[in-house]
Amino acid sequence: MTEAMAPAKEEGFQPSILAFCCNWCSYAGADLAGVSRLQYPVNVKVLRVMCSGRVDPYFVMRALELGADGVLITGCEIGDCHYISGNVKAKERFERLSKLLDQIGIGSERIRLEWISASDGIKFAELMEEFTEHITNLGPSPLKGSATGGV
Amino acid sequence: MSDEEGKIGAVMVVGGGIAGMQAALDLADTGYLVYVIDSSPSIGGAMAQLDKTFPTHDCAMCILSPKLVATGRHHNVKLMMASEIDAIEGEPGNFTVSVKRKARYVDEEKCTGCGLCTLRCPVEVRDEYNQGLKLRKAIYLKYPQAVPPVLTIDRDNCIGCGVCETQCVAGAINFSREEELVKVDIGSVILAPGFSGFDPGLKSEYGYGVFKNVLSSVELERMLSATGPYRGMVLRPSDGRMPKRMAFIQCVGSRDVQVGNPYCSSVCCMFAIKEAIIAKEHTPGLETHIFFMDMRAFGKEFDEYYIRAEEEHRVVFTRNTRVSSVSENPETNNLHLWYSEHGKMRREEYDIVVLSVGFDSPKDVEKLAEKLGIELNEHGFCQTDMFTPLDTSKPGIYVCGAFSSPKDIPDSVAQASGAACRAMSDIAGARGALVTAKEYPPEIDVSGQEPKVGVFVCHCGINIGGVLDVPSLAEYAKTLPNVVHAEDNLYTCSQDTQQRISEVVREKGLNRVVVASCTPRTHTTIFQNTLKEAGLNPYLFEMTNIRDQCSWVHMNDPERATEKGRTLIRMAVAKAALLEQLRPAEVEIVKSALVIGGGLSGMTAALELSKAGFDAHLVEKDSELGGLLRRIHYGLSGEDLQGFLKRLVKQVEDDDRIHVYTNAELKEVSGSVGNFTVVIDSEGEETETHQGVIIVATGGEEYEPTEYLYGKDPRVMTQLEFEEKLAKEGEIDAKCIVMVHCVGSRTAERPYCSRVCCTESVKNALRVKEMDPGIAIYSLFRDMRTYGFREEFYREAAEKGVVFVRFLEENEPVVRVDDQGRLEVIVLDDILQEELLINPDYLVLAAATLPARGNEELSRMLKVPLNSQGFFLEAHMKLRPLDFATDGIFLCGLAHLPKFFEENVSQACGAVSRALSILSQDTLEGEAIIAVVDESKCRGCGVCVDTCEFGAPSLKQLEDGRQVSHIDEALCKGCGSCSVNCCNKAISMGYFGTGQILSMIESCFPETETPPAEKEVAEVKEVTET
Amino acid sequence: MDKENVKRLISDMGAHDCVECGKCTTVCPVTRFNPEFAPRLVVVKALAGEDMDLSKDSDIWVCNTCEMCNNMCPYEVDYSGFIRGMRGEARREGHEPDCTQGGLLHAMMRIMANSDLPQKRLDWIADGLKVAEKGDVFLFVGCLPQMDAIFEDRNLNLVETARSAVRIMNHIGIEPVVSPKEKCCGHDLNWAGDEKNLIKLMNHNVQVIKDSGAKTVVFTCPECLRTFDLDYQDFLGDFEFEMVHISEFIARAIEEGKLKFPENISISTTFHDSCRLGRHLGLYDEPRRVLAEIPSVELVELEKNREAATCCGVSGFMSCNSISKVMQMEKMQDAKRTGADVLVTPCPKCRIHLDCSTRDETPVDKGLVDIPIMDFTVLVDLALRGELQIPDVQDKEAEKEAEKTE
Repeated sequence: MTEAMAPAKEEGFQPSILAFCCNWCSYAGADLAGVSRLQYPVNVKVLRVMCSGRVDPYFVMRALELGADGVLITGCEIGDCHYISGNVKAKERFERLSKLLDQIGIGSERIRLEWISASDGIKFAELMEEFTEHITNLGPSPLKGSATGGV
Repeated sequence: MSDEEGKIGAVMVVGGGIAGMQAALDLADTGYLVYVIDSSPSIGGAMAQLDKTFPTHDCAMCILSPKLVATGRHHNVKLMMASEIDAIEGEPGNFTVSVKRKARYVDEEKCTGCGLCTLRCPVEVRDEYNQGLKLRKAIYLKYPQAVPPVLTIDRDNCIGCGVCETQCVAGAINFSREEELVKVDIGSVILAPGFSGFDPGLKSEYGYGVFKNVLSSVELERMLSATGPYRGMVLRPSDGRMPKRMAFIQCVGSRDVQVGNPYCSSVCCMFAIKEAIIAKEHTPGLETHIFFMDMRAFGKEFDEYYIRAEEEHRVVFTRNTRVSSVSENPETNNLHLWYSEHGKMRREEYDIVVLSVGFDSPKDVEKLAEKLGIELNEHGFCQTDMFTPLDTSKPGIYVCGAFSSPKDIPDSVAQASGAACRAMSDIAGARGALVTAKEYPPEIDVSGQEPKVGVFVCHCGINIGGVLDVPSLAEYAKTLPNVVHAEDNLYTCSQDTQQRISEVVREKGLNRVVVASCTPRTHTTIFQNTLKEAGLNPYLFEMTNIRDQCSWVHMNDPERATEKGRTLIRMAVAKAALLEQLRPAEVEIVKSALVIGGGLSGMTAALELSKAGFDAHLVEKDSELGGLLRRIHYGLSGEDLQGFLKRLVKQVEDDDRIHVYTNAELKEVSGSVGNFTVVIDSEGEETETHQGVIIVATGGEEYEPTEYLYGKDPRVMTQLEFEEKLAKEGEIDAKCIVMVHCVGSRTAERPYCSRVCCTESVKNALRVKEMDPGIAIYSLFRDMRTYGFREEFYREAAEKGVVFVRFLEENEPVVRVDDQGRLEVIVLDDILQEELLINPDYLVLAAATLPARGNEELSRMLKVPLNSQGFFLEAHMKLRPLDFATDGIFLCGLAHLPKFFEENVSQACGAVSRALSILSQDTLEGEAIIAVVDESKCRGCGVCVDTCEFGAPSLKQLEDGRQVSHIDEALCKGCGSCSVNCCNKAISMGYFGTGQILSMIESCFPETETPPAEKEVAEVKEVTET
Repeated sequence: MDKENVKRLISDMGAHDCVECGKCTTVCPVTRFNPEFAPRLVVVKALAGEDMDLSKDSDIWVCNTCEMCNNMCPYEVDYSGFIRGMRGEARREGHEPDCTQGGLLHAMMRIMANSDLPQKRLDWIADGLKVAEKGDVFLFVGCLPQMDAIFEDRNLNLVETARSAVRIMNHIGIEPVVSPKEKCCGHDLNWAGDEKNLIKLMNHNVQVIKDSGAKTVVFTCPECLRTFDLDYQDFLGDFEFEMVHISEFIARAIEEGKLKFPENISISTTFHDSCRLGRHLGLYDEPRRVLAEIPSVELVELEKNREAATCCGVSGFMSCNSISKVMQMEKMQDAKRTGADVLVTPCPKCRIHLDCSTRDETPVDKGLVDIPIMDFTVLVDLALRGELQIPDVQDKEAEKEAEKTE
């Protein structure tokens, strides 16, 4: 967990963050942040999927293995899922994955699940800001540069 | 332009709100050309202003924006914004409409919606979209998600400085544009102009416009929205503080004869509850208090929502109350609200008072009505008839949405589909006449070829190029694996660049294309068409967003934004190399529909299907058609319903395209959209038929009360039984009659409102008064739910001396037989706080409407859900009220919820419209992005079957005996959840394949690539040596 | 493909000795359902040297490495070992196996191999359990806690196996060492051909055990034991510490009179010989001896037991397909036919796979396979406490109903 693994904050450390966004709500929210010209840190790269329910825990694990400092999964608000319950499934999987990451020492604080609606441009921008800062404070992923390829 | 009968296969939809869009999409999907005209510069209507919707709290924009995009992008829909009808001539099936198109001063073809002009425009004016709580520029987009995404110059406020013109790299600004008159030939018209909000300033006693902290409910809605003035925070206009106490005053401009709006606006009760809950969520510690007369929670799950608001969210409700006035404490700007409770005047103090404004008829509607020659009712809404609720007084012109009476979103959407169905029936012969499918060159099969990726990086004028080093991005793209061509373009989406992409594809033999520009949500289709024109499968295209999610949001860090752009392009190229050609599944459509239930809804649906030229198989469980309607004799205005029913049944029976099965039930249903196999058992004989779609119209039945001596005393009867008695006997021998409402409704066991019984009671009371005004009638009710124009009959009944007595849930009337054998009713009048003892000759119970008995079995057979009360549960409570999540199955009428005659007719027509969008096609094109099963990896565990909400996967037996998953391509929506749950990853997705996503992840973090093999061996040695 | 490597494999695994008698094929469970595959053919192709594209061949990935073939081979050819070696070759060329859960478990193991993260792997230690930081006996817990997280929705409670092991040891006065520094043994990576990461995990784990001062390492998981006993020692030579399966450990304690079982309800059991414990390590008698010592526990043998026991269908969390399902169904039907109350498995992985096989849709009638599965260590612990009972069959429908009512 955090206290156990918090490495010394690195000078000039710029975290590398991957965000999975669902096509219907959170990606639209990200677009709205753009249309509204809300400024946020450059550290996050968005990977569009149709539904947060498409995000396989392995995708997240793989990103972490490859040195991602943080991973975000964003979906529609509960009840708003374009596919009825994809986000509910995403939440269940996220909770399991969080437990696993805590156990093996990466720490669940490097991943985050958030609901962002299509009109939540501000929330999206604020999340980018806040999560980037949060990951910056956590410091670089202990796995950076350690990956050895995989499946 | 027209078919052999001179009919024109085009429809004009007036109004681009949610109803107009739904009507337009139904028509366009069914093969009609649609013109949507709206006086606003963009579609979306009132719903676009909403933050959340009741009772599910769906984010309005989340559910609306896919509809906006679908309407805006539909090849059969032409948007005519900032336009109005000038004149109409012709006849049903063949009208010519003159449309006055105001000038936007921005060329719709050239404008890319980048919004740069808006940033530089020096003029700031009141933003109507945000109710004036925010400012906008003189050149503006109505709201960020507006469709079409084209800016408009508001010439009333523009100072003509020309700054926008200097900013627009696309050269779209054109000040010399003028208003023009366009003639359009169409077959029918649908009116969906919506409503206008009541001006709360007219209720001067509430101080709107005088006291700063008195808001309208629409203003509060904008405050609650994340895109509103305070990012979703509710702040007092007087001092910007967060409120602690907020009051809602209901019926402002509704149920109010003084302001000329005697009708009920139908939605404000739920709207206020929603705002009261959401405002509490957005404002820590806020108390919300709703003052109302009757809580009109008559829709699906509304009463449950009302209960939750009170019990879980602690919204305070004060009933029986029309607030008499609001005054202000000038020092604190706090508001004093005066009202009477049980006859005593009381005063409460609040930080904010919200006026729940009612619906007025649409602005300038008299002018429109005059031009079209349609009649308006006395309130300025469209005049319609009980039997034809979607028809205006002029043939060929139809109506839907709030313009026919105030209503909420799902009712508007259902009506919109219904109006589309009616509009189609005039021009059924001309279906498809005006829509032409675009011809593309034959597709080149690239399977097996090494990937050759072309990358096109867009400057988007200076939107991207002004921040990111676009030429360097193109240079960088050239260095990536599989890339054989990369270039930068001023506007990649412009016509000339698209042609260029086509040429490059051909010249260089590209078999994958990547565009790095704006958002794939709006632009994918444009580029996919370019690929098709170049002979490539459209799914060999990948897009990455370096504008909305890069240059626009990292304007102050161009260097790192460019670096991010490189990563995004690298990810897109990695995925592109793995893209495969996809073809949507094609399902042949059986041109026939199964209608389950032979009541009003079912018969109406069958007839409309027949009018559209399709066979209908109508299955009725009883020995004769008619359903619950057989027990209803007259309408509110005395309409003869049994006569109508006879004619309707005859029409159905005489119709060659309608096959009626009586004493019938379904034995088996299999298959899916386009081709269901149905086994019907009728009169003991089994028939197997194939049907393209299924409409569920199973109706409902009247509750048989166990309360109030029902069944024990012959003087106690239900409203339907009473109606039958009145109709058959034509007179009634009584001095006093008591009616009790909510018998079996709104109880712990059955928490829903049966919607029709208040009005049914009023109707029968009026009928009795007509027979003998001397008969005393007491109507014991909890909330009087005579919504819409039904309110006037309630008033009429009161005027004619019907005594309405409100009782509370906890003080149910007591009914017994006294020692002289008389019926005795004792009830505590909540308004007067007095106990009444009445000895009626008859006790009439407004019994609940129950779902049909067979619903549960049918739900299992069709694999469609029921709600907790046994009514069928639609795909989406707001925007898909007539669809099930499973494609090809629709619902209408009482199967969905108890409702009125005219609502059933609207829904039945609506369900047919939804069905026609499938039946009208020879083959149905499914989604291309769907789940794919690798049978060699599948273990047949069935987890996918449990995971899917749409019934797409099922288990099938292979010849070798193995069980494996099979995806019904017509049903899969492509969400990918099954793929994740599949333990062996036997299921992957088209276009969002596991390997494709992994390749993006791997290329996102390139610094950690797989080390070469030699190193691995060396490590082994090193370890073994130690 | 490196010809030298293949040559070395051929000679290391004794593949030259193959006389093509075909006995291996007759017993291979994969061949039964996939006639394209035969252990012998993999070797034959390599020997002929004609098909050096073997690494692309899916054959090397579909093998269950159950060692049924090795067991049957009169000339002691190590087919499984050969296939494992070929998988390594295949990986070096960039070919990957299909892993279940998309490879989540393998990624977790690679992460462990390549980092030194402070793990939270001892949360399962409940009140009353006595463990030590140093001592003679080391309990190697393996990935039980992680599997519980990954398969949380199945309520397997695998860590109960570890708790039971500690309780049994405490009962005879031993406070075993359990280490938060322990990492996955690397079994699955090894069988996926990822020798490099196996070696990293090996170096680490061996060091952890040496640092603990343990003389005996007890394993509840046969996969870990096999990896230590056979694979690690293959690389590092014989260890000074002893490695035993919990069944050996318990059997020994019973012999020494340290464990006495109280009265329990009568239970009839049947025993699943996991591939790793049985054919790989030859431990057949010890678990049976333990079960025989528990009063009121009866053992009914499966039709296919000991050397002839069939596999649970999946190894190393790779390729869990319809062949796996058929194998699992046969195993479960065999177990149900015995009439026993429970199927006892000494391997937590077998428990995961067998449990999975009956949870969802089954190609055969559910009534033919609905026998509860119980972990060997847990059973012994319960018996020792006099709390033995027959567990419920995992009922997915009931679980769903329960969720709804919540």
